[in-house]
Amino acid sequence: MLNLSNKNLEFLKAQIPLITLLSLVVIVGISEPAFFTRSTLLVVIADTTTLFLMSAGATFVILMGGIDLSVQAVASLISVIVAALLPEYGFFAILIAILAAALSGFSGGIAHHILKIPSFIATLAISGVVASAAFWLSDERQIYIAPELRDKYLSWATGETFGIQSEIVVSVVILAALLLIQLRTTFGRFVKAIGFGEQAVIASGIHVPRIKMLAFTLSGAMAGLSGVVFAARMSSGSPTLANEFLLPSIAAIIVGGTALTGGYGSIWRTFLGALIISVVRVGMTFVGISVYAQQIVFGMVLVVAVAITIDRSRITIVK
Amino acid sequence: MSSHLKLRDARKEFPGVVALNDVNFEVRHNEIVGLVGENGAGKSTLLKILSGVYQLDKGEFLLSGDVINLKSTRDAFDHGIGMVFQEQSLLLNMNISENMFLGREDMFVHGGILNKKAMFQATEAELEKVELNLSPKLLCSELTFAQRQLVEIAKALSLEKSHGGSVVVLLDEPTSVLEKSEIDLLFREIRKLRERVSFIFVSHRLDEVLEVSDRIYIMRNGEVVGEMKAADATLSSLHKLMVGRELHHEYYREARQREPGKQVIFEANKIGKNGMFRNVSFSLHEGEILGIAGVIGSGREELARCLAGLEILDDGEILVENQALALSEPRNAVKKGIGYIPRDRKVEGVVNSFSVAENITMASIQKICSWGFIKKAFEEGIAESSIKQLGIKTPGVHTRVGSLSGGNQQKVVLAKWRYAGARIMILDHPTRGIDVGAKEDVYELVRDMAEEGLSIILLADTLEELIGLSNRILVMKDGNTTKEFDASTGSKPEQVDLIPYMV
Repeated sequence: MLNLSNKNLEFLKAQIPLITLLSLVVIVGISEPAFFTRSTLLVVIADTTTLFLMSAGATFVILMGGIDLSVQAVASLISVIVAALLPEYGFFAILIAILAAALSGFSGGIAHHILKIPSFIATLAISGVVASAAFWLSDERQIYIAPELRDKYLSWATGETFGIQSEIVVSVVILAALLLIQLRTTFGRFVKAIGFGEQAVIASGIHVPRIKMLAFTLSGAMAGLSGVVFAARMSSGSPTLANEFLLPSIAAIIVGGTALTGGYGSIWRTFLGALIISVVRVGMTFVGISVYAQQIVFGMVLVVAVAITIDRSRITIVK
Repeated sequence: MSSHLKLRDARKEFPGVVALNDVNFEVRHNEIVGLVGENGAGKSTLLKILSGVYQLDKGEFLLSGDVINLKSTRDAFDHGIGMVFQEQSLLLNMNISENMFLGREDMFVHGGILNKKAMFQATEAELEKVELNLSPKLLCSELTFAQRQLVEIAKALSLEKSHGGSVVVLLDEPTSVLEKSEIDLLFREIRKLRERVSFIFVSHRLDEVLEVSDRIYIMRNGEVVGEMKAADATLSSLHKLMVGRELHHEYYREARQREPGKQVIFEANKIGKNGMFRNVSFSLHEGEILGIAGVIGSGREELARCLAGLEILDDGEILVENQALALSEPRNAVKKGIGYIPRDRKVEGVVNSFSVAENITMASIQKICSWGFIKKAFEEGIAESSIKQLGIKTPGVHTRVGSLSGGNQQKVVLAKWRYAGARIMILDHPTRGIDVGAKEDVYELVRDMAEEGLSIILLADTLEELIGLSNRILVMKDGNTTKEFDASTGSKPEQVDLIPYMV
């Protein structure tokens, strides 16, 4: 009989996302051998970048026990801002765009903290505001980025670096930086502590509002970066660019094994989760499921992932 | 007296622990049986067996001579075993009658319609047994804690109807939320009710167990280590059996009590919080332990929370080393060197899922950072020396605090404030819910802190503890300070001296 101690079981449970990813890769690879080529695998990782960046910042919010539902709207707005300002301001356009994204994240944090409303409502409201702003700024149209501008200002995001897609380099750099923040800074530590038990953190004399604001701001800024990369890849900005990303961006975090209840999880897990979503997406495309029908699968994946990762010892009744 | 309920060679194991080891336990008809033991002695497991939550691995469970096998609490209830829980289980948004017969409404249902009138009448009859003169239609949220406790007992007594008087009521720490006068009332009722039913009484407070029980079982490490008539037992004989060693002659370490220094460290000047307390003034000297006595509602709990910055004062001012301090958040207090040991350790004391090391450095994280990054190896060193210094029993610095015993969790909270360099400690029931051995360790640590010159404000679990530990005692009643007592070594007041100023 298989006899697992509690500790081994815990360890095994923690590896579920990695095991899932590897199994999916094998499954897709067997049904479509072309998937196993170096170039295809690199394309999959590069394609994951925008999703990963969107989910990466939001991971901190979820680690605190909150949620950020505005990332896809922020990414769309930022694509519009970059596309519109690039001809005139060059690199500054990118800076302005990311600052605007950070500001929208910060606003969500303010609404959540000062007015004491749940983060899902606060960020949902912000997402509405941001989406409208994108429509208004773009005149409800797609704004194209000229190829020479793209090559000049956005090649770091969409060209080739060290012989591989630049997106991958961006992903890895961001992953490393955020991992460092999560594991080695007071911000990273207190974000988790707030997720596990906010009152003990407050009683220890820590300035909790500052940490919360920072987490929402970071989430906004990363969504902004995602929007910039998105715009670079599409050579355009559009108010609906990232519309289909709301479900996947949350799903990536949860599928990676970060608990929706806060405290438990990691940026690394979000990276795995984003890859899982991408492989599922590629797999479905191979099988011939339409992009719109794919949302059904993401919705189901989200429910199943939450059901698996949720820490049931902390919740007895769900309302 | 004949046997009512009996466990014979009862055994219960959980992975890695033997929770009950060949336990023999008996309750006779019309008897009050006391059950004492430290945390982890097996009391709760025993109660859970008796109330059907757990099932025995080995041994027999006899009820009035018949072997039974309870499958659930409902099953126990149907066998005439009623449990009155520590955390009260009444639904506060329902009335007494609805609570009394919750899940058993069938007996009043005719043709699908609930006969409320019959249910009210039945409820009134049950309330009469515990001498509660209340309307069955009253919402439970309107009752005092003591009344709720009595309603719970009445609910258990309602089993008499179906069991012809053969009812056992399990009382798990029934006095923990009650005032002295309410406890007296409860005990009077229990003694009177003994004529009809049997009781098992579990409490941390040995004096209460001695007072109310006929016979007492003492448990330690999953075994019954003693059984005696209450008339033959004394506090120290019970204590000795419980902890397996002599009650320390100097339980509160009075020999280590020092004269406080001259310097005033902390001063409260006519502070008040609307509806809670008013016009409270005191000063706290270097190395002094100031005890605050008072019943629930005296305002002392709110006072402690205000001093920690967890609640906001409406009036008056606070001076720390002669400097005014605006207390709007805990971090203002922490910056000035005020550390708070909360009553609810799991909520405000520790982050359960964090490691011992992460909890110890929580209030002073800047000390272990350079260039904004946490120095992990340095942190581990800090944690290791704290563990050694305070005698924290933990497998390692990375162990989750939530997996430690209550006493060791409390030491982690103390270690946190000591590493943060707190100079003023507010101890809000520092020994609540921790076992006797760990309590003594906490007393040693309190004396250590005072010797090092830390100033301490103490809200104790019992008056005895308060008098034993303090240099000086401030008594509060209905939000006002009523009296101050000197409690220097050799001239400590008695409990009876304090009580008139408390109630």
